[in-house]
Amino acid sequence: MDVSLTRNFCIIAHVDHGKTTLSDRLLEHTRTVEMRVMTDQHLDAMDLEKERGITIKSHPVTMNYPSKSGTIYKLNLMDTPGHVDFSYEVSRSLAACEGALLLIDAAQGVEAQTVANYHLAAAQDLKIIPVINKIDLPSANLELCMKQLEDILTIPAEEAILASGKSGIGIEDILEAVVERIPPPRWSEYPQTRALVFDSLYDTYRGVITYARVFSGALKAGEQMLMMSSNQRSEIKEVGVFTPKMTKVASLGAGDVGYIVSTIKDPSEIKVGDTLTQHIKPAQEMLPGYKEVRPMVFCGLYPLESNDYEKLKAALGRLRLNDAAFVYQSESSVALGFGFRCGFLGLLHMEIIQERIRREHDVEIISTYPSVVYRVKVVGEAEEREVDNPINLPDPGTIDYISEPTIKAAIHIPNRCTGDILSLVMEKRGTVDHTDTLDDTRIMLTCVLPLNEILVDFNDRLKSITSGYGSMDYELGEYREADLVKMDILVNSDPVDAFASIVHREKAEGKGRQLCEKLADIIPPQMFKVAIQAAIGGKIIARDNVKEMRKDVTAKCYGGDISRKRKLLDKQKEGKKKMKMIGKVNIPPDAFIQVLKN
Amino acid sequence: MHVPFCATTCDFCAFYQTKPSADGIRRYLDAMKAEAALVSWTRAPGTVFWGGGTPGLLSPSALRELGSLVNALAPAGVEEWTVEMAPASVTEARLEALKEIGVTRISMGVQSFRPELLDALGRQHTREQVFRAYERVKEAGFKSVNLDLMFALPGQAEDEWLADIDQAVALAPDHISTYCLTFEEDTKLWVKLSKGQVKLDPEHEARLYAATWARLEEHGYGQYEVSNFARPGHACVHNVNTWRMREWVGLGPSAASQHGGWRGGNPADLERWQAEVARGERMTEDRVRLTPALLLEDAVIFGLRINAGIDLAELARRFPARGLADLRGALDRLVAEGLAEQQSAGAGRVRLTGRGRLLADAIGSELMGLIDAEPADAR
Ligand SMILES: Nc1nc2c(ncn2[C@@H]2O[C@H](COP(=O)(O)OP(=O)(O)OP(=O)(O)O)[C@@H](O)[C@H]2O)c(=O)[nH]1
Ligand code: SF4
Ligand SMILES: [Mg+2]
Repeated sequence: MDVSLTRNFCIIAHVDHGKTTLSDRLLEHTRTVEMRVMTDQHLDAMDLEKERGITIKSHPVTMNYPSKSGTIYKLNLMDTPGHVDFSYEVSRSLAACEGALLLIDAAQGVEAQTVANYHLAAAQDLKIIPVINKIDLPSANLELCMKQLEDILTIPAEEAILASGKSGIGIEDILEAVVERIPPPRWSEYPQTRALVFDSLYDTYRGVITYARVFSGALKAGEQMLMMSSNQRSEIKEVGVFTPKMTKVASLGAGDVGYIVSTIKDPSEIKVGDTLTQHIKPAQEMLPGYKEVRPMVFCGLYPLESNDYEKLKAALGRLRLNDAAFVYQSESSVALGFGFRCGFLGLLHMEIIQERIRREHDVEIISTYPSVVYRVKVVGEAEEREVDNPINLPDPGTIDYISEPTIKAAIHIPNRCTGDILSLVMEKRGTVDHTDTLDDTRIMLTCVLPLNEILVDFNDRLKSITSGYGSMDYELGEYREADLVKMDILVNSDPVDAFASIVHREKAEGKGRQLCEKLADIIPPQMFKVAIQAAIGGKIIARDNVKEMRKDVTAKCYGGDISRKRKLLDKQKEGKKKMKMIGKVNIPPDAFIQVLKN
Repeated sequence: MHVPFCATTCDFCAFYQTKPSADGIRRYLDAMKAEAALVSWTRAPGTVFWGGGTPGLLSPSALRELGSLVNALAPAGVEEWTVEMAPASVTEARLEALKEIGVTRISMGVQSFRPELLDALGRQHTREQVFRAYERVKEAGFKSVNLDLMFALPGQAEDEWLADIDQAVALAPDHISTYCLTFEEDTKLWVKLSKGQVKLDPEHEARLYAATWARLEEHGYGQYEVSNFARPGHACVHNVNTWRMREWVGLGPSAASQHGGWRGGNPADLERWQAEVARGERMTEDRVRLTPALLLEDAVIFGLRINAGIDLAELARRFPARGLADLRGALDRLVAEGLAEQQSAGAGRVRLTGRGRLLADAIGSELMGLIDAEPADAR
């Protein structure tokens, strides 16, 4: 097929602005998916995505579109996630495209990730098609959206297409704009084969599956391919495209987006951002890859059953293949045994990975309290140490200073909420660098905040103060010195390493109280008295008691009930095995995720 | 002996029972005789318990026929012979038959004295029927009479429950059983629970338990097990024997046995049970070989439900299992945490405290699996 008849584009937007729903309409209009098998948010194929109604992974799909001019185009679409924790997914998709549909929820207007994703796309030189979506909503404010487009994003308002993914308005206009405005695949003239690896997946039957965008040349089954960063060779066993399910094709040519099954067995051999080329006629220059992401939040993940260690290790390897933003290395804990220190882009990312380990890999795990990466200067040492696990914090007496990561946040809010948001920023130990007016009703605060302060409830508080109209985008900023201490959590007077955290001295008491209270609440009622305490350097700063079990007794228990009763008790015992014994107390595996949630 | 017939099904009932028919009862009686003949009796039974279902639903002649089976097995008579009766089926003719065959104890399923609660449970008797039935039973002159009551019924307030207890006490029975309503799967009540029409409230149940124990104690009914109270000398010997892990032979559909080195139950189905008996089989379900370790563990778990508690040293003699250190440690912890008490210093007697008794299941599962499963050497 003629490369000039291919268009590669992605859909980007702030979270929930309707990307996946709009994709549904595109799939329908192009008859890519038959009506009888069509489902809502069709591209959100993972169970977790369906359950939570959010997109977690970018999803590619190839469509054929007969345009108004009569020419049939091949469209490669990628639906991307909107949540800030998954922005790395977005940047990887952008690199495989020439254009982007930038959606704006007509009722919400431009929000923080609208701006952030716009900049990401612009930086990649993509052609941007603004779409004002959800215009079916009674609260839609088209005028305001148009104005914001011009004022905040400097996009001429007349470029905007009005659409509704729900009622199917503007779908044809969007498809026409895609073929008209987005340029054909770039770099297709390059003399050798080059394909960008933008994602990968582990399949139990077929092993490692690589997702790639071919820029030039072709990839076919039976040929030898070369991964340019490692110079590793492997044989292609199958190539195919996404319809959106994987569908085998004869070959992938310039402009195509598809998958490659090869003889690669080990997940660690594939690197997202790598360039694939032909072994017999290799390219000389690699395609621009991706910048490595730095995880922001770390926690320990441990198998609930210690003999599941190897299984967990395999699971992490496979997940890492499907999630380039996730990192891990082995560690051990007194309370939890052998496990892994894992890094994530945020708390949602952390929660999703934990869920995926449980569901897709069937390993029960328990996680420690999350932490950011601190830099600690010990007296007499030349270099700062990096500490991402509170138990590795050196003896306070030897510490010269500790500095913590900050973020630079762009917070979009309605004017009327300014006062409340400023006090929230203060409460979280942040400072406001400057304030910009976005339009008559909205302003943007540029703030510096300690990363560990925004992890837990910052976003929820922002949403509730602004009744859902506030949004935030952030990037990692500089390190800043702070008065930080290690807070231990004691269960029946024994400190539990997995529960330790690093907190600001002034906030320790409040945090300690909150943590004790929540843990006491989350741990199921116990037969024995269990005290939960928070302590700093041996000094107790807060305490609470786990609820005592009040009644657990079978009323009728006669000769005929004995077998049944034994089964019941056995079941209770099994139930307890699903929890981890710490300080003689059974802790539910997701205790910390629950603690962190409101 | 399980008599599986009930006129209607109560909403909370998970027992095996079925509608009676003349032919069904006839075949049941024949199969009971046949099953009794399958048992290798090593001695005559010491106590008898007829439960159900509703044994009291059988005709006087059927009762006599079933009774003669017992009397053939225990020609010298038994220490205690209980028959469960529903108030609506208590007639003079039936009582006369029961007296005649040698029954010593009547257990009557009252459940509640409040008409609206009886209704809600789907019970087929009225408050007045209870009084009339009780009077007849008293007149017939059995050695012991028990009344069954239920609490934590949907919509039942604490004072209403205490009034039920007082009402029962006013009749001066020898024994009272009080059962916290349990939601058993496959009952109408369970359906209501899963539809959210009724709610579970363990705190409320715990309060009712405590109030019950105090009130009955006040009236001179000593608690001897989680749900059982008696005047001195009237504890149910048959049930105490099962909790102490002695032996019993169960006859009839769904009846369970612990006898001859095995534990097991009969099928909970009249037809399947009859077919098995016809093939010469019994105790085919949940069949396990009894080992000293299993019996010791169960004697601890079920023995702790009894107020008198357990004597670990004595149990260890009766069931010579190895590796009791963990079990001892766990019991010590219960004592240290105030869930159990050591009856006299140093001795092996342990009993649960009131708080512990309310947690008997949790404690049971905590104590499970601590003994080495291997049977001890037979020297
Ligand atoms: N009224 C209206 N609602 C819409 C429209 N499009 C999407 N929605 C609703 O908006 C919510 C979010 O839709 P999604 O398509 O999942 O949004 P998304 O942008 O893919 O979300 P993320 O991938 O999680 O960022 C859902 O409840 C949709 O039903 C629209 O055109 N009109
Ligand atoms: S009378 Fe007893 S066995 Fe029969 S249905 Fe009612 S509770 Fe169940
Ligand atoms: Mg989506």
